Amino acid sequence: MAATWIRRRGATGGMRVAPSSAVLPGDAAAAPRIEGARVAGDQARVARRRRGGGPVEWALVHLAFAAALLFFLAPFAWLVTAAFSARATAYIRWPSDPTLANFRYVFEEFAFGTALRNSIVISTATMVLTTLTVALAGYSLSRLEFRQKTWFSYGVLLLQTMPLSATMVPIYGLARELGLRNSYLGLILVHTAIELPFLTWLMKGFFDAVPRYLEEAAWIDGRSKLRTWWEILLPVARPGLGVAAGLSFLSAWAEVLMVIILVDRSEMATVPLTFYRAARGEGSYMEVRYELVAAMGVLYVLPVLALFFATRKLMVRGLMGTTRGI
Amino acid sequence: MAVSAGRGMRDPLPVPLPDAGAPARPFPRRRAAWRRNRAYLAGLTPTAFLLALFFVGPAVWGVYTSFTNRALTGIDARNFRWVGLENYRYLLDDPDLPTVLFNSLVFVVGSAMLGQFVLGLAMALLLDHAEHRGYRLTPLVYAAVLLAWVNPTVVAGFQWVAMFDFYYGSMNRALGWVNLGPVNWLGEAPMLSVIVVNIWRGTAFAMLIFLGALRTIPTQIYEAARVDGAGAGRRFWDHTLPNLRHIAVLVLLSVTMSTFGTFVLIQTLTNGGPGLQTETIALYAYNTAFSSYEIGYGSTIAVLMLAINFVFAAAYLRVSRPKV
Repeated sequence: MAATWIRRRGATGGMRVAPSSAVLPGDAAAAPRIEGARVAGDQARVARRRRGGGPVEWALVHLAFAAALLFFLAPFAWLVTAAFSARATAYIRWPSDPTLANFRYVFEEFAFGTALRNSIVISTATMVLTTLTVALAGYSLSRLEFRQKTWFSYGVLLLQTMPLSATMVPIYGLARELGLRNSYLGLILVHTAIELPFLTWLMKGFFDAVPRYLEEAAWIDGRSKLRTWWEILLPVARPGLGVAAGLSFLSAWAEVLMVIILVDRSEMATVPLTFYRAARGEGSYMEVRYELVAAMGVLYVLPVLALFFATRKLMVRGLMGTTRGI
Repeated sequence: MAVSAGRGMRDPLPVPLPDAGAPARPFPRRRAAWRRNRAYLAGLTPTAFLLALFFVGPAVWGVYTSFTNRALTGIDARNFRWVGLENYRYLLDDPDLPTVLFNSLVFVVGSAMLGQFVLGLAMALLLDHAEHRGYRLTPLVYAAVLLAWVNPTVVAGFQWVAMFDFYYGSMNRALGWVNLGPVNWLGEAPMLSVIVVNIWRGTAFAMLIFLGALRTIPTQIYEAARVDGAGAGRRFWDHTLPNLRHIAVLVLLSVTMSTFGTFVLIQTLTNGGPGLQTETIALYAYNTAFSSYEIGYGSTIAVLMLAINFVFAAAYLRVSRPKV
């Protein structure tokens, strides 16, 4: 959901819960409390914190914590332990003879190196293209002034809610007509388009918060609009660009549906597609070997987790705007 | 000034134009607007092009193809013909369609409306409360919920296939410890299984939004209620829930839309089976187009999907009224 435009009509009289403006300093309202708690000078938070509560309450809360941790972490416990086992089972078991050999086999048996290279190229190119495109579009949409703007903006928003699974059949047909299958260009363009509606709105929110005297001063100095955008506005909107870059990279890295329908040549396979095929046991005579696929899964998930948790405050605010499932 | 002279009518009362005394404009208003906006319109062209190519274009292509008998391969792939409403007529008589729609409904209600929404709210309240108390484990639980969310879908599917394994899966081993018989999760309770996995994956979103919303409730309200002698339950019912109402509607619509389109997760877990037991409308459209090679009819199903989704999207726009 695009929390950008969530307005509460409650007691605070329409205070906005907006990830966009929230990235500017001094507005911690949109961040989840756990993140926000560390914001310096958050006096209201400190005043509300009351330690204590009885032992019964402590026990109940921690019982709920244990259940939540078990539910949410068990599949990861299995993935990691299986990846280091010589012969993994389907249940969670500490590897009796921990080994790193699986990670080597992944590269030997699944052409993982090629997939990795494809994924890195596609995700990076998607990130650059998306960031530039939405920075331009977000600024333009923010400053545009004409009557049809509302409908245009709402239209973009409607596209954001369109499920990809509904348009994948036409996208397949279209890509086949245009010769965009099995090509970097096709995958980069598709992955760029997927996040465009949402990120355009996100960037628009950032630019809405930038005061206009900045650019007006630059115009008076004789800069063109394009140069003003590049030299004055982009540096100001850097947090937003960070969110857009991170989210578009993550999205392109994880996206598999479009790759499934657009790629059928093995040298064009990406990491998610290779993983998808390996997990289904395609192209192999044996049953699915859990330890190999799990090792591939660890290699696949690791960059995502590193990137996400290193920048999670920004990402969480940005990701709140996602409506579409994959 | 003869305002309506061109329409062959007599002039009514003279209409004083507001800018009658002002100097004439150098160019009409429209061109002024164009001048002011053309740079911004140019800035929107790359986005408009990509959106047209991959969103609007496919939607239009899909609507058009739904009126043809186009096939994926063979003679009907190139020489398809216009069949009018035949696909739509077939859709109404399709014996599988009620099953597929019912499955989608169960999946959305179970995993989005009941699962992610309720569990997300519960987790938000739990973490919010635990944070007040200063419990140390709070950030860990928060991170665990997020971890399942940023995890790529294909990996989630693989992890849970192993968890649900009949002979060796962790779920059945855990049941075995408490002397409960093994359950054939993906075979006998496939819908429950995919719902559980989707709840696992999607709870973080609702949780994050609710956490953000809880934070905006002014603390003074609680202080005042406490002074008035309201207990914890009273404060929750009277102040927390009413303050979350607007956000709750948006979260509900949002998770409904994102769940409705779920495809990869179900495909990796059950691929719609056994039989049609977990075949939602997204899988049905895909299988019709790519397994039965009927692109025309597959597009018809996709158009139905878009129409259903549009209803939710319109409701979302109406409730949220985004600031343009």
